[in-house]
Amino acid sequence: MSLPALPLPGEDQLPFDPPPEYARLRAAPRVIRVACPTGLDAWLVSDYAGVREVLGDGRRFSTRPGQAAHVLGAFGGPDAPISGFSQLDGPEHIRIRRNFAPQVSHPRRLAELRPLVEQITDDAVTRMLASPQPYPLHSRFSTAITTAVIAELIGVPPDRHQLLHDAATALFTTSTTPDELRRAVEPLWAYLYQLVATRRARPGDDVLSRMIEHSADSARPLTDAELTEMNGALLIAGFDTTASMITYGLVCLLNTPGQWEKLCADPELAASAAEELVRYLGVGAGLLRQATEDTEVHGQPIRAGDYVVVALQSGNRDTALHPDAGTLDVTRKPGAHLGFGHGAHACVGQQIARIELTTVLGTLARRAPGLRVAVPLEEIVWKKDSVVRGPAELPVAWS
Amino acid sequence: MKVVVERDQCIGAGMCVLTAPAVFDQDPDEAVVVLLDEQPPETQRPAVEQAVDRCPAAVIRLLP
Ligand code: HEM
Repeated sequence: MSLPALPLPGEDQLPFDPPPEYARLRAAPRVIRVACPTGLDAWLVSDYAGVREVLGDGRRFSTRPGQAAHVLGAFGGPDAPISGFSQLDGPEHIRIRRNFAPQVSHPRRLAELRPLVEQITDDAVTRMLASPQPYPLHSRFSTAITTAVIAELIGVPPDRHQLLHDAATALFTTSTTPDELRRAVEPLWAYLYQLVATRRARPGDDVLSRMIEHSADSARPLTDAELTEMNGALLIAGFDTTASMITYGLVCLLNTPGQWEKLCADPELAASAAEELVRYLGVGAGLLRQATEDTEVHGQPIRAGDYVVVALQSGNRDTALHPDAGTLDVTRKPGAHLGFGHGAHACVGQQIARIELTTVLGTLARRAPGLRVAVPLEEIVWKKDSVVRGPAELPVAWS
Repeated sequence: MKVVVERDQCIGAGMCVLTAPAVFDQDPDEAVVVLLDEQPPETQRPAVEQAVDRCPAAVIRLLP
């Protein structure tokens, strides 16, 4: 008998919800065996507690195979053009995270970043409101903002932004071959490798320079290759995920009766709305892990070497997390969820993403409360073959 | 109530400071958790419980 295939049926019919089958899998909760698009078979964990257990225990469940190798053919595996710190576990991985954290999640660093994000967002809203309608929100607004923020942080000038767009598009597209990925990523890597040398010679106030300085006094300073990879990861992981969350989040808010109106009536709700959208919509494709020893989840035996896929969005809709987890509620008090992952690999950029999402939602609610999607929901063109879900483009209008 | 943190496993994600700023900080060098108040007042309990729940690396514990 052939295994049920991932994605489970219904994935592309429901714009905002995980396939209905997940509700049945969560209820028991049951761990089932599935066939993944890239050809590997895995155990599928769908409930909140189960997902937290797997992601929270890096000793039993390793990221070594690459966290998206179940959906991205060119990602992970022995021939992967991109591998690196994300596939490390334990102290080796923590060493890298300790070099990220002071630049991207320290509260005083974040206080410095906030005005930059506010300025970039304000300018983008001003540009939009001065443009003819309908306006292509995803490319000209969401992607423009998130690219500007991360590029500015690392000090990559606008004439190089295309490098990171090409690399991210290739990486997140499921049909990309390893060769295509290598070709798309190499120019960015070559550029960053040079940038490392430049900043070593002439430090600035950017994340890369600060990483160089920070690690210089440590027992094992970061190598040029590590710095290239870490900054490349920030650039690639940093803009498309967040841009898609802005665009996808806005469609969802505008489409759920009363939610946009609540936010506009009280723009201070922007922070809880941002958190709720990441919970409600986050990372449909799920994440991949590999068991390091014979173990079990919810009584299902899992052998050493077996693959495990955790369905984050399904876990976030578990009634064990919130009795009304299936409802989008911008007034929900921010709490734990799986939208940024969990465990040692939880999103490096989550505090930056929170600042960006909160700033964008708050600014739009204040300055463009008459915002609306300019086409019917059925006519929105969604990204195809991408692990980062959301509209490919979104025409918007305002009054 | 008594709070303990396991700094070895901390990844500096910053959730504790976001959730309970009166009890937690991050050190300026590595952004690793710093406990500002080992025995916070009972009024801090909901915030500390949230911080325990939201810490991705599960390095915060609350003792009775
Ligand atoms: C709303 C936007 C975002 C979402 C939903 C998101 C989601 C995630 C998730 C679920 C993971 C965990 C992967 C795993 O456990 O295997 C992750 C990891 C990561 N994210 Fe994000 N992310 C977002 C924005 C960002 C931003 C803005 C940056 C950079 C500034 C970033 C950089 C990273 C990096 C480098 C990792 C790998 C961490 C590791 O393996 O230790 N992300 N993200």
